[in-house]
Amino acid sequence: MNILEIRQLHMSFGSNKVLNGLDMAVPEHSIFGFVGKNGAGKTTTMKIVLGLLKAASGSVTVCGEKVVYGDTKTNRHIGFLPDVPEFYGYMRPKEYLKLCGEITGLSAQAIRNRSEELLALVGLKDVNRRIGGFSRGMKQRLGIAQALLNEPRLLICDEPTSALDPIGRKQILDILAAIKGKTTVVFSTHILSDVERICDHIAVLDQGRLVLSGTISEIQKQYRRNSYSIRFAHPEQAARFAACEQLSSSAIKLEQEGNALTITIEEQAVDGQVLIDLLSQMQITPEKFEAMEPTLENLFTEVVQ
Amino acid sequence: MEVLKEYWVFIVPLIIAELALMVAALTHVLRHSNYRFGSRALWIFIVVFFQIIGPLAYFIFGRGVDE
Amino acid sequence: MKHYLVFFKKELLEYNRTYKLLILLLVFLILGIMNPLTAKLTPDLLAKFMPEGVSITLPEPSSLDSWAQFYKNVTQMGLIVTILVFSGVLSSELSKGTLIILLTKGLPRRVVILAKYMSMLVLWSASILTSFLVTWAYTVYIFPDGKSANLLFSMFCLWLYGALLLAVLLLAATLVKSSYGSLLITGVVVVLLTILNIAPAIQQYNPLSLAAKNMDLVMQNIEPSSLFPAIGVTVLATVVLLFAAVVIFRKKQL
Repeated sequence: MNILEIRQLHMSFGSNKVLNGLDMAVPEHSIFGFVGKNGAGKTTTMKIVLGLLKAASGSVTVCGEKVVYGDTKTNRHIGFLPDVPEFYGYMRPKEYLKLCGEITGLSAQAIRNRSEELLALVGLKDVNRRIGGFSRGMKQRLGIAQALLNEPRLLICDEPTSALDPIGRKQILDILAAIKGKTTVVFSTHILSDVERICDHIAVLDQGRLVLSGTISEIQKQYRRNSYSIRFAHPEQAARFAACEQLSSSAIKLEQEGNALTITIEEQAVDGQVLIDLLSQMQITPEKFEAMEPTLENLFTEVVQ
Repeated sequence: MEVLKEYWVFIVPLIIAELALMVAALTHVLRHSNYRFGSRALWIFIVVFFQIIGPLAYFIFGRGVDE
Repeated sequence: MKHYLVFFKKELLEYNRTYKLLILLLVFLILGIMNPLTAKLTPDLLAKFMPEGVSITLPEPSSLDSWAQFYKNVTQMGLIVTILVFSGVLSSELSKGTLIILLTKGLPRRVVILAKYMSMLVLWSASILTSFLVTWAYTVYIFPDGKSANLLFSMFCLWLYGALLLAVLLLAATLVKSSYGSLLITGVVVVLLTILNIAPAIQQYNPLSLAAKNMDLVMQNIEPSSLFPAIGVTVLATVVLLFAAVVIFRKKQL
């Protein structure tokens, strides 16, 4: 079942078309990486899903219910973490969670229990200072606690890691990975390594529409090339290997760079085994033999010109 | 002193209220280091030497945004 | 209803922690003490600074002088400080984005506007009442002449005028981004009311009368009923302004 469905979403600010017929579906219980360049329309999409912005046309459904602009009922299913969450600086973390809990209509008992639990989860258990003195990372973590307070079915995070240092970033990713299974997570980012670390689904947004989407393994399979990288001890060795006649076919591309050789085989019948056999025939022990997986970075640059 | 004897019912509460305002502003100046403009020394001077107006100016215009 | 209460409580906590409560109550307390004191001291001071040999006969100060100070100070210093203190209540939340999370949690936008207005009104009421009670107590104590009339009604008029300005301020905050912008709009409205007041035909309906005719009421130069039209206009205007603020805020892209 899809927890979030977006159909033919159009949106523009003035003459600038931000969303151009965006279609997207987020399956339940996934960690969904929403990737795109800065200004690709990620934040705009999220704000429309939350009813904070009005789309020019198109529809959004959350848990099967249609999102309307303004005070939308669908928000009760959603926890939202803005890119830079802003809190009341004069409140303490518990007071803020209490305020949020009262707004969503949780009982006093539930608020106390959930607050304890969540503050422990995000590592703010013993912090009783006013939020005004919090660091970026602490605010981001309180933001997650706040977003998870009413046990939402869908957690939407807008660039949760981009403003943080490496440690803060790891903490956030660990928290998101920890809630996987209980809550569907959609998070936007332009940092691909974050996606690789925790996401199982990915969608790439470019010029207001999706240019790539699916599970990470599907995508990698789809874009996998029969491509290998071999590093030799000497450049001459590499040259000798490249020159042998078994490899002189139009279906095989060779690229030599110093003592490294990249071999791309377009023909499905030929695979890495052929190369290994060839190496042993020629009595060459390479320093490294690697089947090249398409990295997200390569994919990203390929689909987003 | 004559005046004080006659008007203490006014002057004592007045001084207490003004002092309360000043102390509140002064502790805030000393506890926080970011001001919308001006420096700590400037705000201490203003708060202490300008009764009522000084603390008011600090709280309304000078206080840093967070808290 | 629950939302109103929750957000109202949040506003009061904010007033307390950001010193708004302290500032307003202390300023109005100080004004309350100053009013009768100034009334009492002015003749003495004037006499002291007269050149030697010149003697003037000043009338003995009365409770009327004390109340004249009250209405002068509260309409000027009091209202200005109140408006300044409240100038950021909505605009600072909008510019910082602190409402985003609460709105996505299902806080209706209508509640934000109305609960903010209610809490502003409560603090404004407490402030003017503090000043009034203090001035009243001192005045009864030093000028027990019983010359002043319509005291409560006169204060109510000024209170209502303040309530109107707070609604203007709130509506302005839904229209412009910065708190200075909403201050400016409120200032412009006051100037417009002042200009309108030049026309005698309009005076009767002008909300500004509620802040200008107070001493006439106290001295019984006019009947309270003569201000009823202005009161009606002010109440109506306040309701319309708040309604507009809710409608505009609902449509606002955040």
